[in-house]
Amino acid sequence: MIEPSRLASPPRSHWRHQRDRLATGLIAAGGIGVVGAVMAIGAFLAFEVLPALAGGGIDTERLRDALTPMAWGTLKAALGAMVFAIPLALGAAMHSALFMSQRLRSRMKPSLEMMEALPGVVVGFIAGLVLAPWIERHLAGSLALLAILPLGVLLAAASWRRLSVGWRRRLPLSRAGLWLIPWLALLGYASFALSPIVEARLFGGDLRVWLDAELGLDYATRNALIVGLAMGFAVMPSVYALAEDALSGVPSRLGEGAHALGATRWQTLWRVVLPAAAPGIFAAVMIGAGRAVGETMIVLMASGNTALMSLNPFEGMRTMAAGIAVEMPEAVPGSEEYLLLMLAALLLFAFTFLVNTLAEVVRSRLRRRYRWLGGAP
Amino acid sequence: MKRRAVRRLPRSEGPWAWLAAGSVAVSLLMLGGLLLLIAVRGLGHFWPASVALVTLDDGRAIAGRATRELPLVGQEGNERLYFTGNRDFDGHVWEWIPVSAIASQQRPVDLVVLERRRYGDFIGRLVAVGPVGLSVDHPDQEAVWPRLQARLQAQQALRDERDRLVRDTLRPLVQRVDANPGDHDAREALAEVNDKVRALQAGMHGEVAIVESVGGRRLEQPLDEVLRAWRPNAMSPVEKLMAWAQNVWRFLSEGPRDVNATGGVWPAIFGTVLMVLLMSLLVTPFGVLAAVYLNEVAHQGRMTHLVRIAVRNLAGVPSIVYGVFGLGVFVYGIGSSLDEWFFSDALPSPTFGTGGLLWASLTLALLTLPVVIVATEEGLARIPVEQREGALALGATRLETLTRVVLPMAVPAMLTGVILAVARAAGEVAPLMLVGVAKLAPQVPVDGEFPYLHLERKFMHLGYHIYDTAFHGNDVQAAMPVVYATALLLVLVILLLNLTAILLRHYFRARHGVLARQP
Repeated sequence: MIEPSRLASPPRSHWRHQRDRLATGLIAAGGIGVVGAVMAIGAFLAFEVLPALAGGGIDTERLRDALTPMAWGTLKAALGAMVFAIPLALGAAMHSALFMSQRLRSRMKPSLEMMEALPGVVVGFIAGLVLAPWIERHLAGSLALLAILPLGVLLAAASWRRLSVGWRRRLPLSRAGLWLIPWLALLGYASFALSPIVEARLFGGDLRVWLDAELGLDYATRNALIVGLAMGFAVMPSVYALAEDALSGVPSRLGEGAHALGATRWQTLWRVVLPAAAPGIFAAVMIGAGRAVGETMIVLMASGNTALMSLNPFEGMRTMAAGIAVEMPEAVPGSEEYLLLMLAALLLFAFTFLVNTLAEVVRSRLRRRYRWLGGAP
Repeated sequence: MKRRAVRRLPRSEGPWAWLAAGSVAVSLLMLGGLLLLIAVRGLGHFWPASVALVTLDDGRAIAGRATRELPLVGQEGNERLYFTGNRDFDGHVWEWIPVSAIASQQRPVDLVVLERRRYGDFIGRLVAVGPVGLSVDHPDQEAVWPRLQARLQAQQALRDERDRLVRDTLRPLVQRVDANPGDHDAREALAEVNDKVRALQAGMHGEVAIVESVGGRRLEQPLDEVLRAWRPNAMSPVEKLMAWAQNVWRFLSEGPRDVNATGGVWPAIFGTVLMVLLMSLLVTPFGVLAAVYLNEVAHQGRMTHLVRIAVRNLAGVPSIVYGVFGLGVFVYGIGSSLDEWFFSDALPSPTFGTGGLLWASLTLALLTLPVVIVATEEGLARIPVEQREGALALGATRLETLTRVVLPMAVPAMLTGVILAVARAAGEVAPLMLVGVAKLAPQVPVDGEFPYLHLERKFMHLGYHIYDTAFHGNDVQAAMPVVYATALLLVLVILLLNLTAILLRHYFRARHGVLARQP
């Protein structure tokens, strides 16, 4: 039973409408206020820095000397992170979007979301204090792992084809992400166990000494390799999530058409789904790069924080974010150093904001395209 | 027949599909390895490990816990790292011993470990317990250990009584005298309590334990410096498990000691929780307000679309930039002005003009606003427009539709947003380094003094505790277990929060999935 509405009594209604108008006004004012406060960040940084910059408050020479190594370090760290994160994230996204069963996928996504939630301090601590000394001692084994893991997967694939039908059913490709884990763990262990022998044969016992002597590469305990690995680990889940969204959002009728024409799942992915989702994947990579540029704690803890400018992946660096975190509390407000750090913050803000906006525009275009490709639902 | 069965199998996918599968495996392997490492090391720290008595080839004896083993540089064989304690003897607590140099190894049950307030652990043998200056002519191993336990318990009782007296009686009296210096009753009472405290302290002072390292050096250890004593080699597994649980509890409930390298993390837990609570109190109403405005009130035009994109993008701005904003606007801007207006008598030492709890919470609230706004908006957008139209058609005003129909349906989404915001804020350290975290602040920002909640105080934070202990301690090796344990605690808290958010979102989607409007 719906009760009849008591709209009829005018004074009550009048009061109600007044109250409604008032509340709506308040919500609008509050909402605009909050949004404004959030947006104030960019405005604040610009107001602090730009007048000083325009008025010659900062010496250009000093500006260049201070910012160039930090900018270089930031790019190097972000590049290292992306080198690790992109193949892993895109591979995982392709596999889970096209090969995994729906059930497995719905369990896989939250576990990678957990990975994204791991705080930077913890990742940085493990990278800087546990992984860095470990890799320094097992450099050859760690580098060998970069080749051994893909080769091990291919070896598994080749031997899978020789398996009996029953075993192939028991270990399907759609679950390969899980049953490959013990095999890869075994390979990793073997790589570290055997690397001293290989190292003794090829590099005279110690790869670090050999690198220094033959290629002139210095080795610092906390270096770009460690930062790349740790930050790649931190960035990978967000790239994965966005790329997976883009891939699984491609209208299924496209893939089904390709399947019907006799394409394998990989061919379908490569020729049909991937081109359709390419802008989304680009956006995912951009957002990942934005994160890598701004990540502070991992770099602070795993990079050694030395303002070097070299291409050597075995040397440390100092990034803008880490520089701000270390020096800002000591800088006197209004001093030149303070302004320099503010400028670095402004650059970080502008860069990430632009990159994210670009990615967002690309993604919203892509969604429109999917709707068009998929026809009316 | 057989051929047919083979044919029915899916065709081979080629190497790339397998590499893609491999990257899933590698990611999961890395994640699992990291969590396992933190869990094992973090929990293992509390286990009362056995102490080995090692005799070397040259006849020297050391006692300690073996912690790790590495291959020797440039030689065959391994060397082992022992934690030997006894920093007051020779200034170091670690010893690397080549395994080949070990002649024999035992685990005698009479080795004791004393946890001390100064100089860290003592590892050795107990000789005698008694008042200062006792003679040690007749060492009686069996009777000494129970006596030590009894004396330590008595000491603990005295310590508890003193702490209670100081907290409940002495401090309020001091305040009364401070407020009113002419109050003679209070002065007399204060003198009386002071005498009592002094008597208690004197009772604690007079006793020593005479202990001897395995190398034969003797030490008179004042008992009031000893916090706990145990004989790990004489403990059964059940006793060890009990001790383990006790250690976990002490870690969670006590303050840090020894430049944060040992002891517990209670102030850091308290600081983190308090800061996050304040932050969620700030962020929830404002985030929901902004989301409601953007989704329900604002004209859905191009401008709103742009604002929405911008808000979403602000979630991707590095946290350190928020820290700079907090430092520049809250600390140096608003804080300095507040100091000039209200706390000018304390200047030049700043009250609000330096980092503190309030500014940290505000900065993190700003940092997590986009998260709450986006999650709430998503929830609001999922509510079918028919629900609103129905309410309006029944004569409800816009406000009534909002408060009676739309917001109740969006509550799970808001909760998800707040939980995600809390999880993000709990793990964020970089901005806190600029706006108010402290290396050591054993005084928690809540106490019995007016105004009870001290928003201007600096506070400790679990994440910063990890960074600081791991990178700025005196002996990183000795601090590692504490860092692992803290990291485990932080990860557990954050994973738990995230799991809650994921489950809530799942539940919400399942409930409203049928109603969801097309994206």
